Amino acid sequence: MKVIIINKEAWAGGLERLYDSFRLFGPVKQDEFHIFKELSKGELPDMNLLNTRLSAKSMVYPQSEKMFEFTLDENRDDHHMLKEIHKDYSPRAVIGIRPCDAKAFLLVKANFDSPEYKDPYWIKSYESTTLVGYACNNPSSTCFCTTAGCGPFHEQGLDLLLVDAWDHYFAKVITEKGENFLAAAGWSSEADSDTACDEIETMRQAAEAKITTRISTDKLKDKNTTELFEAPFWEDVAFACINCGTCTYLCPTCWCFDIQDETFGLSGIRMRNWDSCMYPLFTLHGSGHNPRDTKRQRIRQRFMHKLKYYVDKYEDGIQCVGCGRCISHCPVNIDIRKVCTLMNGFEP
Amino acid sequence: MLAYIDKIKEISNRLLKEGKVDMVIGFRKGTVPMMNEPCFVKTPEDVDNFVWDSNCGINLANYLTNRKEKIGIVAKGCDSRNIVTHVIENKIKRDQLVIIGVPCKGMIDRHKIEAMFETEIQDVIEADDKIIVKGQGLEKTLNKKDVLQDNCALCIHRNPVIHDELVGDPVEEQKDLDRYEDVRKIEFMSPEEKWRYFDDLLSTCIRCYACRNACPLCYCPTCFVDESRPQWVGKSQDPIDTRTFHFLRAYHCAGRCTDCGACERACPMGIKVRTFTRKLEKDCLELFDWEAGLTLEERPPLDTYRPDDPDDFIK
Amino acid sequence: MGIEPGRLHFSWISSAEANKFVDVVNEITAAVKALGPNENFLKTEARVA
Ligand code: SF4
Ligand code: SF4
Ligand code: SF4
Ligand code: SF4
Ligand code: SF4
Repeated sequence: MKVIIINKEAWAGGLERLYDSFRLFGPVKQDEFHIFKELSKGELPDMNLLNTRLSAKSMVYPQSEKMFEFTLDENRDDHHMLKEIHKDYSPRAVIGIRPCDAKAFLLVKANFDSPEYKDPYWIKSYESTTLVGYACNNPSSTCFCTTAGCGPFHEQGLDLLLVDAWDHYFAKVITEKGENFLAAAGWSSEADSDTACDEIETMRQAAEAKITTRISTDKLKDKNTTELFEAPFWEDVAFACINCGTCTYLCPTCWCFDIQDETFGLSGIRMRNWDSCMYPLFTLHGSGHNPRDTKRQRIRQRFMHKLKYYVDKYEDGIQCVGCGRCISHCPVNIDIRKVCTLMNGFEP
Repeated sequence: MLAYIDKIKEISNRLLKEGKVDMVIGFRKGTVPMMNEPCFVKTPEDVDNFVWDSNCGINLANYLTNRKEKIGIVAKGCDSRNIVTHVIENKIKRDQLVIIGVPCKGMIDRHKIEAMFETEIQDVIEADDKIIVKGQGLEKTLNKKDVLQDNCALCIHRNPVIHDELVGDPVEEQKDLDRYEDVRKIEFMSPEEKWRYFDDLLSTCIRCYACRNACPLCYCPTCFVDESRPQWVGKSQDPIDTRTFHFLRAYHCAGRCTDCGACERACPMGIKVRTFTRKLEKDCLELFDWEAGLTLEERPPLDTYRPDDPDDFIK
Repeated sequence: MGIEPGRLHFSWISSAEANKFVDVVNEITAAVKALGPNENFLKTEARVA
């Protein structure tokens, strides 16, 4: 495995060069927290962070995204026709993405890029993106990635993994995209691969040892779906929930959206916006009937989807990477670790 | 605090045993620092789950809306005022409730405390009016009064305004506060400055509606932002739609908002959403001498007409 | 909110005061026309990605 050493003194210069061939995105501190933002030339990503408040999913799948445009002007031949919107899919790189968020793209891919369905917006955007990961030397207390199919130095989904080693970064090359990124930055001082890998391995173990919360997911697959669905604990789990959708909006693996048309005079656009299973509107039928009318049903949907339906359907673990965002930011402290324990240990 | 907890447990136990209520709503210990989780207890055996400390900022009146059971509810000053509002607005009947009043000493602001430190906070301990914050290589003692939620620092109704039980002696109310300094600052801005100020304030809003949903006042079966025929507001991240949501929501709370701070506390992006409601609160106080939720005897100003209305357009 | 003065008007008109109604409407339309369109709340197209 190829490992490049990036001296921190060469960091800004390399980024400077990258602007010529990439649109760069990175964590920036806004108010009291970090969010991903497009970096303007000369702007540096703030690498002094635990993780961003919102996940990196919006880098590929924005909260509001135009899909088509149309005109209602009947004097035009193309009236009432949906036309594709030209978008910028030039190469871009997301710097400083945590391994959990990167792994999440692979989970989301199961939905947006499946054998039956291809979502052109997501795919094009994903393919134009290079993910420059940033290993977590200091995971936070809500991180439980190591038992959610991921880990603080996990490489799945990444093109490159940066490891902060005091005065330099190790850049572990994972894909060709990662290789190209390094080349464009002009970072080329190759480390002795064995020593570097050893050093990274030691740091990985130290980081993983800091993650103290664990979940067990081993029995989820064998549970009977209907029994779990009817489990008595849902009422208690759901009580505090205010259906705000914060958990789903902050989550890197939640993918649901809603399509809306908006017109402005005679022209209009069709766009999609993130939606959330926590909202009553999400399932409201045109008839007025709502199959998920109570919050007990909605909260059950969220956890059943992540921890049961997904597990059964894709046979690839849970639909959660353990980033802990929904735990730290749920306004009423509904904790997926607790719910997972209830589900995994449920005996009817 | 410990005395409060014992008292909450004791009263809940009694109410449940005597069959006076079907459930008691209170807080149980959270899984992360500075968070507790609203919960209900239906049997005397479970009352031991209840806790009380400075992390009970969620407004429990929110959990009463349209419930049919007989309910015991733990209520601090602001919760009790929202219960009053709920009763006035027919969202719950007074005789369904046994209100377990908690004289409140203010809730701490976790956004504020988190922002004070670079490292992650892993544990927070309370001792009287001190807050001890711990993290990796971090241990610091803060004065509770410096880290109160903004609304708690300005609160003048810490004691429950109605209650059937009380878990401790009434606390002294804060006096001589200048409650609206920040609002006045905005009032003095020019329209253009105001526009920019609010653009800035809302720039990170993700329209998750946690602020709305945490608020006991926001119980409309279909909120105007969710209405589709007609669609009043667009649903995207467009800044004008976002602003329209906040603007209108605030007006819907005029004369009803108790400044409980639940909205601001709930916001995952740390947006100071009370900026909107506080202007209206101030207006209600100045124009109609009205503070929401203090009495069951009077209708709120926006659903009454008085011949002495102060505004001159009503002639 | 940053809405210019003169854009928002209130009045209290009884259903019997037809003349007052006409006057007030005329005054308001004149005042608002003088201000021109409300650019702030004008959404020409959603500003989204
Ligand atoms: S963040 Fe918490 S309160 Fe909000 S919808 Fe999710 S679980 Fe419910
Ligand atoms: S469910 Fe929660 S912990 Fe899991 S990936 Fe989503 S936000 Fe992170
Ligand atoms: S969940 Fe794991 S990968 Fe994600 S920020 Fe925490 S330690 Fe890093
Ligand atoms: S809670 Fe915060 S982010 Fe969510 S809609 Fe309200 S102000 Fe916006
Ligand atoms: S608007 Fe905010 S402060 Fe006012 S009652 Fe609702 S939650 Fe409380």
